Amino acid sequence: MNVVGIGLRNAWRNKVRAFLTMLGVAVAVVAFLFLRTILSSWTAGVESAARDRLATRHKVTFVLPLPLRYAEQIRRVPGVKAACWANWFGGKNPRDENKFFASIAVDSNTFFGVSDEVKVPPEERETWLHDRRGALVGDLLARQFHWKVGDKVTLSGTIYPGDWEFMIDGVYTATRRSVDRSTFFFHWDYLNESLGEGQKDRIGWVMTRIDDPSQAGNIARRIDALFADQDTQTLTMSERAMNNSFLGMFSAVLKAMDFVSIVILLIMALILGNTIAMGVRERAHEYGVLRAIGFLPRHLVLFIVGEAVLIGFLGATLGLAIAVPLINRAVGLYLEENMAGFFPYFRVAPGAALAAVALATVLAFAVAAIPAYQVSRLSTIDALRRIG
Amino acid sequence: MIPIAYNVRSLFVRKTTTLATLFGVALVVFVLSSSRMLARGITETMGRSGSPENAIVLRKGSDAELASNIENNLIGIIKSAPGIKLGSDGGPLGAAEMVMVIAAPLATARDQVANVLVRGVTEDSLKLRGELRIVRGRSARPGTNEVVVGKRILGRFRGVELGSTFDLNKNRPARVVGVFETGGSSFESEVWADLDFVRAAFGRPAAVSSVTVALASHSSFDAFAAAVESDKQLGLEVLRESVYYEKQSEGTADFVRFLGDAIVFFFSLGAMIGAMITMYAAVASRRREIGTLRALGFSRFQVLSSFLLEAFLLALLGGALGALASFGMTFAHFSIMNFASFSEVVVSFEPTPRIVVSALLAGGLMGLFGGFLPALRASRTSPLVAMRD
Repeated sequence: MNVVGIGLRNAWRNKVRAFLTMLGVAVAVVAFLFLRTILSSWTAGVESAARDRLATRHKVTFVLPLPLRYAEQIRRVPGVKAACWANWFGGKNPRDENKFFASIAVDSNTFFGVSDEVKVPPEERETWLHDRRGALVGDLLARQFHWKVGDKVTLSGTIYPGDWEFMIDGVYTATRRSVDRSTFFFHWDYLNESLGEGQKDRIGWVMTRIDDPSQAGNIARRIDALFADQDTQTLTMSERAMNNSFLGMFSAVLKAMDFVSIVILLIMALILGNTIAMGVRERAHEYGVLRAIGFLPRHLVLFIVGEAVLIGFLGATLGLAIAVPLINRAVGLYLEENMAGFFPYFRVAPGAALAAVALATVLAFAVAAIPAYQVSRLSTIDALRRIG
Repeated sequence: MIPIAYNVRSLFVRKTTTLATLFGVALVVFVLSSSRMLARGITETMGRSGSPENAIVLRKGSDAELASNIENNLIGIIKSAPGIKLGSDGGPLGAAEMVMVIAAPLATARDQVANVLVRGVTEDSLKLRGELRIVRGRSARPGTNEVVVGKRILGRFRGVELGSTFDLNKNRPARVVGVFETGGSSFESEVWADLDFVRAAFGRPAAVSSVTVALASHSSFDAFAAAVESDKQLGLEVLRESVYYEKQSEGTADFVRFLGDAIVFFFSLGAMIGAMITMYAAVASRRREIGTLRALGFSRFQVLSSFLLEAFLLALLGGALGALASFGMTFAHFSIMNFASFSEVVVSFEPTPRIVVSALLAGGLMGLFGGFLPALRASRTSPLVAMRD
């Protein structure tokens, strides 16, 4: 048996302790991955946002609308391929008022030209385009409320008062993760025609598709310059920046989660360090014997560090084996179905999984370094004198 | 019973291990207590905004002031309903208010904006919130562009400083003349301006967001609500102001509580495992002592409870450390998103005896759970075998 073999065998001397330590590391890894997945899922909308997309809104407040003619003017800006306007409807399902979902009135003529990642079967798309009261719902939303194509549904408006009737004409899926698959889209014309004189022809924001993403900044400035002298000024930003500005409102919570995920590593280090320190103390006498029969200090260091790294690595692997199915199969599916607005794609990122194992191993190395160093400095006589 | 001093001394023998376990439990209790304090802070901050002696009128179907819209001609009708307290001038005490959310540039970060709630108020608005006090500067003169700002957002946004101006909308500068506090409510995260100034600045002269009235007595709510809601043509909805703000904080507070609990669950698993490792080691290294205790006549149950007590003490100590540390969080401010208005509300961590004590006990429980199996092993030690080692 070689030196490494002895070091690794040491890990199993106290089976209960080794198992518990690995379990501790595993729990920490599960918690760490859980938090990192919440963070990455939350920012998924930002990271996978389309780069050829701009959004234009009221400069001062999202509460106030833009005049409809702005959309036409934006469409004529050089570099803009297509523009679609929309209004936040803020509808609720009267049968389940507490479930939040986005309901948006869009200009159906230009909708697919801009949001090309929204996928609808061609025949459903045709029906919707010709049905004034038609609605297009995300597959997740449809599943949540048990809606099928052909169903007649009523939404109560929080911003536009009253009950609004719709026909579900199509169910969409998405080819990009930044698209919320639980949105309720319907015709802007339907909304506009139903409003009183003073409220007509007002739009919430304009989404544009541009031909050259590298020109996004210039085009945005050109759009805002169009309306610089108007009473209602605009703020144009990339889809990414718009998603980011939404996340900005949660920045304190995100920062807290980031911080907590690091504290978890600290707990892991405590558990590992505790185990190693206990093992080293109990074996002080034995280290004296080993030194007396000719093992060198560096061999002892190898034993101690090797044992720690082995336990850390195995524990992290165990954690990964628990976390990935738990998050991807169970929690992820649940969140994607029920809170798709917040967590459109809840899966462990490969990078985070790798980082978890690497961090556990490195931390194990770090916490073993101190006792290992102390043991290597111990004289043979001193060590032999120590008992348990 | 085996003396407690035995357990306490034993804990001091293995300092590093004891400290590591202590620290683990402390972290759990810290997170548990802090997240509860934050959730409490959110509920309280919003809760303080609403008084049960006031009623708020919104357009029916709108969940929040922001989505609500009440035309000017309805204000008089609402204020003539029964059940409203009369002001010093003999008229009903009620304030029509307009709520706007503006994107204001942050003072700390360049090119970043955050949403601030601007409230257009009348003189009655101040009377309805008796707790409001100007702490710096003076109150704004009605009919001007002067504004007062809540003390929690002072300096958070560019131009939101005493004596400076910032743009409410294009060519509509607002001048900050005073800073107010309201005893920790969410109003402290708002800008209060003259109602007509706000309506003119945003081109909405014909409507307000809400009408808040002072109730003649706590029980006159029903009469007032019935009168306002009975005319379906008006399309209005009445809520007690306290209920309205409670509902607004629900989502956010639940969210923080859920997140905190999920984290605490994992943390406490880790801490229990840590305690278990420590106690197993303690039991293993004290086999001879345990054997001796048994030989002296202490029963299995007494040994079991002695070790359980030791684990409990250890965890309780850690819990105390964590609870103490969580008090440090009361100095921190946390800005959260109010889901109902999409604007920022600055809240603080608010401790209550109940939160601290329950977090402490949770820490102790972790010790009990973690220590149970090791204590069981200790109690099963055979005195003969143990003393022969």
